[in-house]
Amino acid sequence: MTTILETAKALRARQVSSAELTEAAIQQIHKINPKLNAFITVTEDLARQQAKAADEALARGVDHGPLQGIPVAVKDMFSTKGIRTTCGSALFTNHVPDTDAAVVEKLAGAGAVLLGKTGMHELAYGITSNNPHFGAVRNPWDTERIPGGSSGGSGAAVVAGLVFMAMGSDTGGSIRIPASFCGTVGLKPTSGRVSRYGTMPLDFSLDHMGPLARTVRDAALTLEAIAGFDQRDDTSSRVPPSKYVPDAAPSIRGLRIGLAHNFYMERIDPDAGAAVVRMAEMAEKLGAHVTQVRVPDILALNTVGRVILLVEASALMERHMNQRDKFGPDVLALLDQGRLLPATDYVNAQRLRRVMQREFNQLWSQIDCLLTPTTPMAAPRIGENTVPLGDATDDVRLAATRLVRGINVLGLPALSIPCGLDRRGLPLGLQIIGKAFNEAGVLRVGAALEDATDHHRLTPPA
Amino acid sequence: MKDWKKIADAHNLAIPDADLDRIRPGLDQLEAAFRPLAGSVPHETEPAITFVIPPEAAE
Repeated sequence: MTTILETAKALRARQVSSAELTEAAIQQIHKINPKLNAFITVTEDLARQQAKAADEALARGVDHGPLQGIPVAVKDMFSTKGIRTTCGSALFTNHVPDTDAAVVEKLAGAGAVLLGKTGMHELAYGITSNNPHFGAVRNPWDTERIPGGSSGGSGAAVVAGLVFMAMGSDTGGSIRIPASFCGTVGLKPTSGRVSRYGTMPLDFSLDHMGPLARTVRDAALTLEAIAGFDQRDDTSSRVPPSKYVPDAAPSIRGLRIGLAHNFYMERIDPDAGAAVVRMAEMAEKLGAHVTQVRVPDILALNTVGRVILLVEASALMERHMNQRDKFGPDVLALLDQGRLLPATDYVNAQRLRRVMQREFNQLWSQIDCLLTPTTPMAAPRIGENTVPLGDATDDVRLAATRLVRGINVLGLPALSIPCGLDRRGLPLGLQIIGKAFNEAGVLRVGAALEDATDHHRLTPPA
Repeated sequence: MKDWKKIADAHNLAIPDADLDRIRPGLDQLEAAFRPLAGSVPHETEPAITFVIPPEAAE
């Protein structure tokens, strides 16, 4: 599969047109989407118009950058003017926004071609993307397995070659989990780095927007297109964006990389742990200093994150709770839990968040980034509620979020890249966590490891 | 452990008994994990979400 960067060159060399790329993508969606259910809405007509405009602009010498003329998709929680935006919920089946989300505006400004809205876990509140209203999204590596979630359609669409990039959102791992389970790259930027304006929120203080793509550089160039201050989003940061696309031969020589000897390597599938250790060894070969570090109490951090998410999501959905039949059972259960927690617990969770942020930030005096598995295991089967891990059996949702949820509480940038296959031939992900607003550093490490391995070139069986 | 049914009733949340039964183990587990943490917060710690008057309000 080609990358955005390669295709952007081909477009400018007139070896291919955006109209041809778009038509091929539409044909692929017609052929493959019935098996995967990766899209809720396909915007064929809009895509053809945008592709024609991109070709005409390039012919006139108007160049908006590498996304121009590239077929992309957005998760069905990004508002799209005149195009229904369901958030995977029966509550919003016929919701047609009258404005575009900031990210959709920015992608259009960069000349990207919007092919549609991807499937997701109901209300972005879960990790299976087994949606009771729009059907289960299926993993291209094994259609009996979940793609992860909540941005499951975005992960499935990218790895199946239906689009070059698809936007996702991440409140407790919802970009990185599908990236890990589908074998794509997924980037959760720093809190405030990408505007949330026009997205259908799951949560006020944990939601992050970011891309799923085939390579680190494709995720990086997408971030360059969508990052920046937006006064319409109260959490938007005024820290200026930087250059994110790593150089052709990025050096990580001398970089201090941490590998946690506590928590992150415990209660995980041995294949997931071994894959991360191999990537750390590769980083060492590339000149990085890999050291074992002890991370603060991530279980406590996850607990704090759960309290915050449960309460904020329930506050958001409270006005819909008289329509209990409009929710799937798993989402309803989470919303009910959030309604039962006292306000004092919520405030104290937000106070603990400050304490834990200070504790975790001390790590950055020892290391520049932290490597962990993204998920403790590869994709479970659709309908599976528990997974065996170590000596115990874990709830699938809690297991899948265990290594990623805390990073949303801290608001730090985190990248998931493919790091190999497990014994069953299913993809595994490596998570690279960095300091706030150091997306460039995280992406540089990701690109160096990607260049030195071929995990990102692995594709699902036909 | 907390009596979640009494809490639901007191807040008039109209959560059916069967649904309450289903979420009780998760709530009990969260309560057991969170309560000691909540008791450990240093007194002077502000929450991560605080009210800030935007600069334009002063203009």
